Amino acid sequence: MRSAQISGPQERTPRLAPRWSPTTRRNFRLGMLFIAPWTIGFLAFTLYPMLASLYFSFTDYRFRGTSQWIGLANYLQLFRDRLFWTALGNTAYMVVVGVPILLVFSFVCAVLLNLKVRGQSFYRVVYFLPSIVPVVASTMLWLWILNPNSGILNSFLGIFGLHGPNWFHDPAWSKPALILMGLWGTGSTIIIYLSGLQDVPVSLLEAAELDGASWLQRLWHVTIPMVSPITLFNLITGVIGMFQYFSQAYVFGAAVTTMGNAIGAPLNSTLFYSVYLYQNGFIFLKMGYASAMAWILFFIILGCTVLLLRFTESITYYAV
Amino acid sequence: MANRRLLTLIAVALAIALLLPACRGAKPQEEKVLRVWITWGDNPAQLQALFNRYGEAHNLHVEVTAPVEQERILTALSGSNPPDILVLSGGDLVKSYAKQGLVEPLNKWIEATGIDLKDIFEAPLNQCNANGTYLCLPWGTDIYALFWNKDLFEAAGLDPERPPQTMEELVEFADRLTIRNPDGTLAQIGFIPDFSWSHLDLYARMFGGFWYNEDGTELTLNSQPMIDAMLWEQQFYTRYGPDNVLAFASALGGYMSPDQGFYAGRVAMMVDGEWQVGPNFIPHFRPELNYGVAPFPPPAAHLERAGTAVVQGTVALIPSGVKDKEAAARLLAWMMSPEIVAEEMVANSNLPTSRTAAQDPRFAQIPNFDVFLKLMGHPNAKYIITTPISMEVNERLGQIEEQVLHTGADPVPLLNEAQAELAPLLKQALGQ
Repeated sequence: MRSAQISGPQERTPRLAPRWSPTTRRNFRLGMLFIAPWTIGFLAFTLYPMLASLYFSFTDYRFRGTSQWIGLANYLQLFRDRLFWTALGNTAYMVVVGVPILLVFSFVCAVLLNLKVRGQSFYRVVYFLPSIVPVVASTMLWLWILNPNSGILNSFLGIFGLHGPNWFHDPAWSKPALILMGLWGTGSTIIIYLSGLQDVPVSLLEAAELDGASWLQRLWHVTIPMVSPITLFNLITGVIGMFQYFSQAYVFGAAVTTMGNAIGAPLNSTLFYSVYLYQNGFIFLKMGYASAMAWILFFIILGCTVLLLRFTESITYYAV
Repeated sequence: MANRRLLTLIAVALAIALLLPACRGAKPQEEKVLRVWITWGDNPAQLQALFNRYGEAHNLHVEVTAPVEQERILTALSGSNPPDILVLSGGDLVKSYAKQGLVEPLNKWIEATGIDLKDIFEAPLNQCNANGTYLCLPWGTDIYALFWNKDLFEAAGLDPERPPQTMEELVEFADRLTIRNPDGTLAQIGFIPDFSWSHLDLYARMFGGFWYNEDGTELTLNSQPMIDAMLWEQQFYTRYGPDNVLAFASALGGYMSPDQGFYAGRVAMMVDGEWQVGPNFIPHFRPELNYGVAPFPPPAAHLERAGTAVVQGTVALIPSGVKDKEAAARLLAWMMSPEIVAEEMVANSNLPTSRTAAQDPRFAQIPNFDVFLKLMGHPNAKYIITTPISMEVNERLGQIEEQVLHTGADPVPLLNEAQAELAPLLKQALGQ
């Protein structure tokens, strides 16, 4: 059959049955061999666990023994779970409020770090350094800064006669505290913005200047549109990162709770999606339920990314 | 062609490099290794030294890993090579693990190795008992009692040698021991009910109940003792203002630091465990602290509940995936021997679970330790009741307690709601 396909009329249409030369074939084999470590790693440690978790999400998972197929029960239970919605709401807050704040802050920092002033490299290092501090260490540090009674932030506010909030125990202030903490570690976003800013053609800025545009007008009409692909990239990675927000919230909850229930304190205000997922999987041992949560999160992130790409298409300017 | 030779050479070199360690590992007569995982890690070197004694006596090596994280435990328990013995800081998770088939029932091993259950105090042993099946054995035990600062008592005009005798008197004393700053904030507080963590189990027991019935088959979250316990706790916050108490508590030093609220003389009374009187805590951080320890007082209407304490503590189990269960059981039997229990508990100032070990004269040398020893042997000593959904129930209770204490919420509707949601889960988990 195979020989019949190769011979005959199809032989004259190389588009349908391409024939590789021995060199191409050897190169292909060699290439496959070189990427084999990655391919094997991907199949064994990414694709297989992903597909396994999809299967587990339809089961009452057993750590040892046979998991029982329960169809959509985990998914249906999730929609009835009050804490699932709390966690989703808290995460949405961080995405909708936190990500834009972090982006604007990073952009402003990048613009300042792009100015031609003395000691600029020093400032760049200073702004980047916090992002290489381990998350747990930086969160512990911020717990000192945010301490409602003895922290330097509330002491600073006190200088102006302001009574600082109880960042630890007031559920209205715990998420803003985490966003504030996040501002400190935006070094990588700043660097990406900075590289984008340095790619803005000087000719365009000079032309605008000659036309009498002020610094602010040049920023608004030239710089911001020119870095819009960078903004889109930072926005998408920021949204994905925020949906998976975990370590800071976990450490924060453990530090501020007095009840021994480290997760979500105060009053479930820091119960984020990934934190609740972890709690279900590793503390309540409901791995099937946690897998269902993971897949819902996957589709939420996928949906958000597609929507962001679609809606920003018309306002993102690609110079090439 | 030269490139190809080079590639072959690199591939051969890599293969040799990968194979070498494997060859080195295949010694003809390898020493047997038993692995012990322990979830706390205050003093791993001391634990390793203790287990080395077993290794030396039996010509094998006992490898101690401490501390171990929860995720690692789960992966190991469900994998093909779990540790031979797992020691947990509490029994909360044991029944959840057992429900997942991760725990080896110990009854036949207890019999085979001659572990004397009669020598183990009843209260800590009961936390491992699931309808007659022993899922674990208690190694060390913790009990909570009331600590009071004698200097602060004196300064407040109270008898420094007389702690409160009832829960009502404790509230009264706390009031006298609380000092406000001119701006209304707190400078010193008499008592914080959830300092340094929740003690709801103790308070609920004092009011005559718990969040499960005695055999752990029913949830009793909205029972009267639970409501009474939460309301009793709540008053300490409502009297001084939840925001004031929370802000005050936030400024207190870390648990293991000289600035810990009680050590620093800012909290006059606290509920805490027996380890506080041992070498690693009060004598280490504030050796000069003038304090006393007494059993937590009962409510005035139920003085017969004096001596009530909730016993919980470290438990040791054999994972079901262990291949040489006999060797693991022998090691467990050694761990449970009075001599080793005494050795370990003296080193860390924890309560021994063995009655024989409790007679060890070294315990008597630790000041105030006798208070805890008496509490453990007291007829009113209660064990912590656990179920396969303990973690979910504990988490939910923590959330409710937080709402009741920190926001002044009414506990009744919250407990009713939790009862309605969690009771069917327990029935399902117990297969009822």
